[in-house]
Amino acid sequence: MIACLLIPGFELRAALRARPRLELEPAALAPEIGAEPLLGPVTAAAEAAGVRPGMRLGEALATCPALVLVERDPAAVEREWEGVLRRLEDAGFAVDPVEHGVVVFETRGVERLYGGVQPALERALAAVGAGWDPRLGAAGRRFTALAAASVARPGQVLVVAPKEEESFLEPLPLSLLPLSSERYAELEGLGLRRLGELARLPSGAVAERLGPDGRKAWRLAHGGRRARVRGRRPASELAEALVFPEAVGNELTLRRALASLLERLLARPERAGRPFRKVALAARLVDGGSWRRALTLREATAEPARLRAALGPKLAELPAPIVELRLEAVELAEHAGQQLALVEPAGEEATARLREGLRQVRASTGTGSVCAVVEVAPWSRVPETRALVVPRDV
Amino acid sequence: MVAGSRDARARSAAGRLNAPRPALVEAGPGGVPRVVNREQVTLVREEWRVVDRWWTEEPVDRRYFEVVLESGRNVCVYRDREAGCWFSQNA
Repeated sequence: MIACLLIPGFELRAALRARPRLELEPAALAPEIGAEPLLGPVTAAAEAAGVRPGMRLGEALATCPALVLVERDPAAVEREWEGVLRRLEDAGFAVDPVEHGVVVFETRGVERLYGGVQPALERALAAVGAGWDPRLGAAGRRFTALAAASVARPGQVLVVAPKEEESFLEPLPLSLLPLSSERYAELEGLGLRRLGELARLPSGAVAERLGPDGRKAWRLAHGGRRARVRGRRPASELAEALVFPEAVGNELTLRRALASLLERLLARPERAGRPFRKVALAARLVDGGSWRRALTLREATAEPARLRAALGPKLAELPAPIVELRLEAVELAEHAGQQLALVEPAGEEATARLREGLRQVRASTGTGSVCAVVEVAPWSRVPETRALVVPRDV
Repeated sequence: MVAGSRDARARSAAGRLNAPRPALVEAGPGGVPRVVNREQVTLVREEWRVVDRWWTEEPVDRRYFEVVLESGRNVCVYRDREAGCWFSQNA
């Protein structure tokens, strides 16, 4: 079975870990800097006062003058989310994170370990911790599992039997579908409110009227594809941090701190001589917020000068003085060194460069972003069955 | 081949290459396309039928047209007789 664990408003919850008192007060995640002034997730107290996620800031403050705006804390969100994923992995689940607060995994590998689907799912909830109010949905297909998690109560496990999937989805709202607001408006204009109403329409008519988005939505309203879940490769815990006794904004000091962090990170024995492919620089700002930038290197390297040259310019993007600087090795290359040949055979260099380029793409966009075309039935008269696009690990 | 960076979920599974895309087609007498995606058809180069998998639950019954549009583009469209609508595809 495919299970989906959902933690609504994860970004707000992660930002509130440092200020748990606010969880009981009307609070909302502040809008992103430079973006439209729309609120992020809100607390239950704010919701009770009439504030909704996605509301305009002015309207929200007029509705609830006592509303507290919580600053976005991307470093805390990343750290807490990684913690949740690691706890699930420690419990034996191969997780495929979808976004912050949504993760999918298969129970098949651990059902026998925990004595069935239900005990395995309860173990997953316990691994995450009740403090996060996680909800779990399980079904034969990914979308149904997500829908089940969306309607489950905090701490509840909702299992949908494969035969009941369509009847389960039928009364659920269309807002569960990953569609743009224009598409929702179009569907509502057609008088459609529930997944079942969309599922009952002929697929051809939906595709003709709404295009590929409509076709995808129609397929999801029927439960979606039966795709297997591929667990992520667990990230390595390789990081170094430097806490400053007082706030630092001077670029020279920051560059020196970065050089020192690099030295310490390169000296870590867990690296086993492997160069860095992807690194991240995070900082805690003086006013309590945080900042994080991830960087995929053009070529995996462990040379301090090249790493300094790549990471140095990122320090100029810091929005405020900082009290802590942290350097993380997000992904390491698999090889410890590179053997050079005296004379490269013809075509060998181009192939090596292509492979290296694909590795960079995979490192920056994640597993499954690099695909290969595999011919399966080149003789077929139906064009779309001749070849498949298959994810490929390089 | 590198897939788009969005929608990481869709990429994790094998996908079809050259999947048909819905097309807006106005057909004339005899079901021959006159307008494809709001562009006038100037020439119908070829026409053929594909009937396959009639023994399965997903039979294929398509009438393909290779047409040249006003802009000079070559497009291949077909009418799916099962679904009763038009699609474009590189045949």
